[in-house]
Amino acid sequence: MTEHIVKSYEGQLQELTNTIIKMGALAESQFSNSMIALLKRDQDLADKVSGKDFLMNEFDIKIENLVINLIALRQPMGIDLRETVSSMRISSELERIGDLSKNIAKRVRHLTFDVPGEIADSFKRASNVVQKNLKDVLDSYSKRTKDTAFRVWNSDLQVDELVNLVMAELLDFMKKNEKNLEISTHLLFAAKHIERIGDHVTNISENVYFLVTGDQIKGTRSKKVDKSVET
Amino acid sequence: MVNEKIKISTRNLNVYYGIKQALFDINLDLFEKKVTALIGPSGCGKSTFIRCLNRMNDVIDICKVEGSIKVDGEEINGKEIDVNVVRERIGMVFQKPNPFPKSIYDNIAYGPRIHGLANNQDDLDRIVENSLKKAALWEEVKDRLNQPGTGLSGGQQQRLCIARAISINPEVILMDEPCSALDPIATAKIEELIDELKKSYTIVIVTHSMSQAARVSQNTGFFHLGKLLEFNLTEKIFKNPDNKMTQDYITGRFG
Repeated sequence: MTEHIVKSYEGQLQELTNTIIKMGALAESQFSNSMIALLKRDQDLADKVSGKDFLMNEFDIKIENLVINLIALRQPMGIDLRETVSSMRISSELERIGDLSKNIAKRVRHLTFDVPGEIADSFKRASNVVQKNLKDVLDSYSKRTKDTAFRVWNSDLQVDELVNLVMAELLDFMKKNEKNLEISTHLLFAAKHIERIGDHVTNISENVYFLVTGDQIKGTRSKKVDKSVET
Repeated sequence: MVNEKIKISTRNLNVYYGIKQALFDINLDLFEKKVTALIGPSGCGKSTFIRCLNRMNDVIDICKVEGSIKVDGEEINGKEIDVNVVRERIGMVFQKPNPFPKSIYDNIAYGPRIHGLANNQDDLDRIVENSLKKAALWEEVKDRLNQPGTGLSGGQQQRLCIARAISINPEVILMDEPCSALDPIATAKIEELIDELKKSYTIVIVTHSMSQAARVSQNTGFFHLGKLLEFNLTEKIFKNPDNKMTQDYITGRFG
């Protein structure tokens, strides 16, 4: 892309992009660390995740200020306008991902024993897909590629199915022994949070698609829901 | 832009100043009772283009205008066509307010008098009042109609010129950077006026202010080096233009 005639304008837009990329990287590590902490019952790592959440909020505030300044002082148009608007939205989505990761980390304290292997594996399968989607969508943001954004958007169904599987396993686990109830309750929330993070990732993909093309993603994703574990 | 009535259409419009070609094959449709903004860097031909629409280029000896310009399907480009009739239908407002060195009243009454639009003094008074009201100037000047028009503020002078343009009841109003000499409040008043006027008139505005084009127009044309590179809905132009050059221009990336 040709550079702006006014270099300081170019600099401000670049700073906005860079801040989103940094914030996205932090969101990725917050989420993946929260999952490691949960599945390994690693309290230190969980505390680290909780302790870093304020950084996500600071990024969000910084981006909001950058965006408001751009709108007030530069009146961005065309691609710059889309960049500005979508950055603000992406920042909010990342901030929510940060909150949910922190919430997953906070549940580690309440795990009275290790997550059973089979359930842990299902958790990993679900969270791996979401982590990959998050990484890909942030990639598509920095490279401005609509195809990856579209793929991520279209893979939400897979996330939902994997999360439903975790929940079904947790229900079985609860039925086995009432001692399992407490830990399972926390794990049910964690599973639901993974699904919510997945939703935020698809929201980001919609914004990246809009940023690149100027259009909204069209079409409907089929959502197959297993009624037995619908929450 | 579908199902809109075309007020003016140009086809293969080429303009030359001597040997220098200023416009290249302009095919542009202007829709009735809409505001069309023309944007582009200095010297891109947008002023030359609107000056063709009321034959203002006729007064420049070396200027040659070729091609078709139709108003309501009727050709207006041609030596045999009476420019006075054309200019009666297509009024113009310029960058710098240029009231006649006459009273406010006479500035407005001049056109209707020479075109014989008023049968008597009452008629003329009514035309003056209505024109000033339409230009949102009446309340500010009704008690001093006999004072010189040049004594008004810049913004008022520009509205006086708009009132003068509409006094002969044109169908189209051409505006060549009408706000570039005005402060933001006077500019806002003109923009509000443009919104109001588009209910009755087809308006074409040349502007260097992107945000003004975005605010006042429904369609926007982007000119560059004498060519019309993009013509689209204004929203489309400023959110997601089709042409890369348009994108570069509106975002300030023009190299």
